[in-house]
Amino acid sequence: MKFSVMVNEGPYNHQASDSAYHFTKAVLQAGHEVFRVFFYHDGVNNGTRLTTPPQDDRNVVARWSELAVEHKVDLVVCVAAAQRRGIADADEAKRNGKNADNIAEGFRISGLGQLIEAGIVSDRLVEFGD
Amino acid sequence: MPTVKKMMYVNRRAPHGTGYALEGLEVVLIGTAFEQEVCMAFIGDGVYQIMQGQDTRAAGMKNFSPTYKALGDYDVTRLYVEQESLSERGLSVDDLMPLTYEDEDDDWAEKPSVQVIVRKELSQIMAAQDVLFNF
Amino acid sequence: MAIELNGKTYETDEEGYLADLSQWDEEVANHMASEDDCELGDEHWEVINFLREYYEEYQIAPAVRILTKAIGKKMGKDKGNSKYLYSLFPYGPAKQACKYGGLPKPTGCV
Repeated sequence: MKFSVMVNEGPYNHQASDSAYHFTKAVLQAGHEVFRVFFYHDGVNNGTRLTTPPQDDRNVVARWSELAVEHKVDLVVCVAAAQRRGIADADEAKRNGKNADNIAEGFRISGLGQLIEAGIVSDRLVEFGD
Repeated sequence: MPTVKKMMYVNRRAPHGTGYALEGLEVVLIGTAFEQEVCMAFIGDGVYQIMQGQDTRAAGMKNFSPTYKALGDYDVTRLYVEQESLSERGLSVDDLMPLTYEDEDDDWAEKPSVQVIVRKELSQIMAAQDVLFNF
Repeated sequence: MAIELNGKTYETDEEGYLADLSQWDEEVANHMASEDDCELGDEHWEVINFLREYYEEYQIAPAVRILTKAIGKKMGKDKGNSKYLYSLFPYGPAKQACKYGGLPKPTGCV
């Protein structure tokens, strides 16, 4: 089965992003396909490489990055939500006149159309949020 | 022939206390470009999103409530409002914005987009959807 | 970045969109267009004014297909097509006309 996942909350404050991660991993382990993970609302905060959690806790951002690298999962951060919250890749930083970018490895910034497309082509779109 | 799915955008929160309502509305507007069979539901505090006479000046926030009036232009013509959610908050349909659309198949006659329905009926419509987006 | 014009300063972002939308006036619109080697004629203003009215009423800039449909309805079929709008605003009616019209920069969504 083809799944897509939507993540609506940031890391550490809310369980949604942990649950989404475990769900995505379980889907892959069960042999299903993950078409896309889409980060929206505060969920875009899962995509900044500047997070520095303490060593005795999980690293939510790095965990997503590893998943993207190992399983070629498409991690998409919504551009409009990212602009509001200060998540940028090099192109976005340039376009908006910022002197730095912070997107984490394996994530890409794109538009909301990517979420709708995920809803159309996936057998299941599973949303994690509040 | 591309797939056409039944999609419902479920709005559960008051408009300005969190960002979910505004960003949810942005998804609806962008989503119309994909020409799916879309509708919206307003339940719980979500009914406040389409209240008449919103004024956000004192809160210093953007008042995006007029944007719901553009939904008709974007061919979003079915806005289901749960009767119980209105009643529980002491509201009636008269407290909501009179949102309309122009029916292309009926000589562009102006028709109401808001349909107040009871919980049981809404749950049946919800069950018939292919994709739900919750905000 | 900023535009200096007739003794007034208009702050802009990297791509030349106004930082403070309430500062917008026709002079700055003409100036921004001339910077792009574009001279605003009546037909441009028809679209810009339409966008400004749409924004005033709905608090959003319409998607291009909505703009096209609405222009066609209001000004006739010969103007209600994207070819006509792109001939006026070759960088894209959403981006270019919104910029001259003092509307928010499109997020780059879709």
